[in-house]
Amino acid sequence: MFNAERFVNEQIEEMRSKIKGKAIIACSGGVDSTVAAVLASRAVGDRLLTVYVNNGFMRKGETEAVGKMFDTLGVNYRLVDASEEFFAAMKGVTDPERKRKIIGERFIRVFERTAKEFGAKYLVQGTIAPDWIESGDGVRDVIKSHHNVGGLPKDMDMELVEPLRDLYKDEVRVVARYLNVQVAERQPFPGPALAIRVLGEVTPESVEIVREACAIVEEEIERASAAGKMTRPWQYFAVLLPCQSVGVQGDNRAYGRTIAVRSVESIDGMSAAYSRIPHEVLERISVRITNEMKSDVNRVVYDITNKPPATVEWE
Amino acid sequence: MRVYVVDNGGQWTHREWRVLKYLDVETKIIPNNTPFDDLDVDALVLSGGSPHVADENEKMGRNGEYLDRADFPILGICAGFHFMTNHFGGRTAPAGKPEFGKATLIVDKENDIFLGLPREFVVWQSHNDEVVKVPENIEILAHTVDCPVEAIKVKGKPFYGLQFHPEVENTEHGSEIFQNFLKVVEEWHR
Repeated sequence: MFNAERFVNEQIEEMRSKIKGKAIIACSGGVDSTVAAVLASRAVGDRLLTVYVNNGFMRKGETEAVGKMFDTLGVNYRLVDASEEFFAAMKGVTDPERKRKIIGERFIRVFERTAKEFGAKYLVQGTIAPDWIESGDGVRDVIKSHHNVGGLPKDMDMELVEPLRDLYKDEVRVVARYLNVQVAERQPFPGPALAIRVLGEVTPESVEIVREACAIVEEEIERASAAGKMTRPWQYFAVLLPCQSVGVQGDNRAYGRTIAVRSVESIDGMSAAYSRIPHEVLERISVRITNEMKSDVNRVVYDITNKPPATVEWE
Repeated sequence: MRVYVVDNGGQWTHREWRVLKYLDVETKIIPNNTPFDDLDVDALVLSGGSPHVADENEKMGRNGEYLDRADFPILGICAGFHFMTNHFGGRTAPAGKPEFGKATLIVDKENDIFLGLPREFVVWQSHNDEVVKVPENIEILAHTVDCPVEAIKVKGKPFYGLQFHPEVENTEHGSEIFQNFLKVVEEWHR
């Protein structure tokens, strides 16, 4: 079985020998990168700077919450607001692979600038097994380019350190619990963030719609889970679809957008089954989204596809 | 016990490595062009992968050499299983009904590999091709409603093939199938 204590000791040891001088860690505040940050900080102490990039695609209240979490962790950190630069790079882009590559490159450019200011040569990332497996290689097909692997630009000027490369999410959580990391049970969230939950062009407006819908899905599912109506799923969110449909709102014709609710059960993200959410909870989500977001959304659908053939995220 | 995973480019090759590691086997993932003479193992797992083995045989590297020269057990999964079946005279072709995700496996013969498992259980699939011809020297051990050949044993050799994926979490009894295979390996070298 997996031994967290042994893993932590081995990785700290390895990072100590690998990292000469200063390093930065790319940290979104999710489980993987936060565990990597704690490990790296134990390995090299204040030679490490934790960097969080607000790309403009983060969830409601996320940037503030991550800042507080870093305060609690007591790490040396910097929050960088790069949202303008990310939105500019996404202008006119609709292809999912191009989105992921552009976002991957933007991240690296921001990290390079921050690393230069801090005097660091190393970039620590919380890359886990599915990231490099799905990004493809000489023998493996590209399923999707994860921003931290397949999205890395070729001319990157930093040396990568990836202590969690061989782990899956369930194993990272075991390490997180062992290290008392407060985000140990947080649901997975993709690096390209809400940009890949907007199918089609990513604009401040489309991101705002999916951000609000994601917040409603999270709130309702978490409330129902806390009330014992269901078990909290592995991952649950909203996707904004690039299609409109006809509706009727207050005796007026509506021609609004569509939100898909996605929720899956998994252990490691490499295979997944759609969640059996009670209809009562699904209905509450649908009513809230269409009422609270009435000028944008007039239809909500539920995704009942397993992985394979689908993936968890839509892009 | 040392059991290596031959990487044919599958999404779940690393999962096979993880299941073996959890069963306390000495394991690692090796490229499929590793020469047979460089292997010092008790058994091999031939992973799945995206190659259509019927017409992209070159992508399967030295899998053929392993099957010709191994005097130890081999477990072929998905593309590894297709290759194994073709190698011993069978044929693989695009599936009439490909299977992705959930399916129900029906065990026809328990053999060693399904020892102690139910006659029917949920397995996870991901295949575009399927075995359409099985030669005399291969025995069919299981099927699903949509796929007649889901598990095989090569007669007279300790070689097994599975169409479904015992290494993924959604497959029921997956770890037990690996344990059964490891028992075969243990018996073989006794």
